[in-house]
Amino acid sequence: MTNPRLALLFVAPALLFLIAVLGWPLVQAVILSFQNVGVIGTEGEWIGFDNYAAVLGGSNFWRALGRSLLWVVANAIVQTAVALGVALILHQKFPGVRVARTWIILTWIVPTVVVVIIWRWLLSTSGGMVNPLLIQAGIIQRPIGFFATRESAMTTLVLINSWRWFPFVALMMLAGLTRIPSDLYEAARIDGATAWKRFTRITWPLLQPTLMMLGVVGTLLSFNVFDVIWLLTAGGPSQATQTLPVLIYETAFKGYRLSEAATVSVLTSLLLMGFALLATRAMTASEEAR
Amino acid sequence: MRTRLLAVASLASMLLAGTAYAEPVSLTLWHMEQPPHRVQRMQELLDEFNKAHPGVQVKQEPQSWGEVYAKAPAAFAAGNGPDMLFTIPDFTTLIKGIDALVPVDDLAKDLEAKHGFVPATIAPYQYDGHTWAIPAYNMAISMWYRNSALKAAGIEVPKTWSEWKAAAEKLSADGKYGIGLPANKQLYTDQTVYSFMVNSGAADIYNEDGSIAFDKPQTVEAYQTYADLQKLSPPDSTSWTWGEAEACFASASCGTILQFSVINTYETQAEADPADLGVAPVPHADNQSDSATISYSNAIMLTTKDEAKQAGAKVFLAWLLEPQNYGRFLTMEPGLFLPVTNDGAKAESFWSDPIVTKYKSQVETMVANSQTGKLFGFTTGKVFPSIGAISGQNVIAETLQKIVVDGQSAADAVKAGQARMSEIAAK
Repeated sequence: MTNPRLALLFVAPALLFLIAVLGWPLVQAVILSFQNVGVIGTEGEWIGFDNYAAVLGGSNFWRALGRSLLWVVANAIVQTAVALGVALILHQKFPGVRVARTWIILTWIVPTVVVVIIWRWLLSTSGGMVNPLLIQAGIIQRPIGFFATRESAMTTLVLINSWRWFPFVALMMLAGLTRIPSDLYEAARIDGATAWKRFTRITWPLLQPTLMMLGVVGTLLSFNVFDVIWLLTAGGPSQATQTLPVLIYETAFKGYRLSEAATVSVLTSLLLMGFALLATRAMTASEEAR
Repeated sequence: MRTRLLAVASLASMLLAGTAYAEPVSLTLWHMEQPPHRVQRMQELLDEFNKAHPGVQVKQEPQSWGEVYAKAPAAFAAGNGPDMLFTIPDFTTLIKGIDALVPVDDLAKDLEAKHGFVPATIAPYQYDGHTWAIPAYNMAISMWYRNSALKAAGIEVPKTWSEWKAAAEKLSADGKYGIGLPANKQLYTDQTVYSFMVNSGAADIYNEDGSIAFDKPQTVEAYQTYADLQKLSPPDSTSWTWGEAEACFASASCGTILQFSVINTYETQAEADPADLGVAPVPHADNQSDSATISYSNAIMLTTKDEAKQAGAKVFLAWLLEPQNYGRFLTMEPGLFLPVTNDGAKAESFWSDPIVTKYKSQVETMVANSQTGKLFGFTTGKVFPSIGAISGQNVIAETLQKIVVDGQSAADAVKAGQARMSEIAAK
């Protein structure tokens, strides 16, 4: 394919589709953020940067941003650790490994609402299984509310979300592991390298491109998670799990301040676009250095 | 009155005969009664109505309460809104605010004359000189318990807050919880907290001029008592909605709960013994003499500007409230939906339902409780638009979380709640 015009013609439908479903709503959100529309479907007046001043001058946006960052980092740590362990196991040869590789994605393909129902039931103090198990194991003395305090609610949400997403990350890592030439490991073994050295000197460095890609994609995906948080805690207790997507929803559809919600959306989009740009540059620089 | 009735009757006869229009009037009804058995009962009623009224054809489009607050305004803005829409009082203020609502003054007067509305059910829809919706069914919070559990603990049915606390403490034994009170930032918690507020004399959250009247000693007393009792609830009650409370009661883990109804859960997932299922008014503050409660009358709004459709919708609503039809409408969820009309409360079609018959004494108590119902933001005869946002953002429940989760004093939390409501009202 050397004809640029022909190439453009081929990608044009996809580009037009993207502009229609992504670009146009984004433009509408920007317009909305400069107005004072309350309820969806009503008219508003042009108020310039008032919404931006109110959002950036208030505390709700910054607190929600802080929670979003905590959410992203905690999910990244838990998912990376669990997924790496699972990927390393699945990279080994043992009976049933093919079945394990297939079934590992089960939690990822279960619909969110089912995940929520399962965990709500498991963690309930009225008939749930987790509390009795923890009591029998001597870890706790009496039933606890996993979403009852600020700290436990966020921790529980991170663990549930990580439980859901780690198979996807593990499969990506497994794909990265299979790309590492096996003769490198053979040579290391001949040289007497221990398993730990083989991991730190071969596996970990050569897995970096995959980890960086997962870091970027995972951050963007985690940052935008709304369904699990909303269905399990609705941002509570006492706003402890109110991340930016939850704040946007609450402002628009509970507080009936559509323009203010659009302002938070625009600021969030700018943040994420900035992050994606920086991450892409860093990845490119890393590739070139290699 | 006579002229108006004649006009409605003649219009109805024209629609019945199908001579007024070449094509029948087609009406779309949005309701939020999503469970399949409710949709099925509604369809049975619509089929019956449509067959008897060839000039008016009504079709249902079930929606969810979770989505309709955003979906309905968007649909009206796009010109795709329904002709009739189920509502609760704060949702009505939202739809009225976007000018999608048609007053139903004449029909309400006619139906009042014919059937007699329970005042508490229509009052939240009457303001700004008009009636904005026709009440359809009522729901009121009551206290539920098991007679056997109270008897075993040697206690009477509590009537006051101190009696309730003593009972809950006695019932808290052997891994069971004496009470199940939610503390989630959610509508259920708004409802249960307000059930305490109306029982301490803190029913009004607005002053006559629209300013917020939330911060007062009676409100603080209600929150303090609620928080004290909530300590006797299961530890996960900070994330409860209605379902978890019902499950806790059905599994006998909770001794007493506040709920609209537990009859369905008790019948299908618990003992199903009507002699043991107890229901009573929500206990009141020790310094009050009577119990009150929160009640939510669900209603139906007219949301079409087309006069022919409005006329058709009025024929449908009048038909629905006829006692022979109305009871079957209410028993789409037997033991939960309560009558809003005086003759509906006596209708054979209501009391002959098998579940209603089985739990007759409980339903009678629920109906009696519902007569004293109030709803936050709709108690002074004036309705202020900010109630939609105050309700939508669950400020009442949010205030409770400041005590239960953040450890603030009741006085400080209520003060913060007052500031939050005032901030919302000012926007």
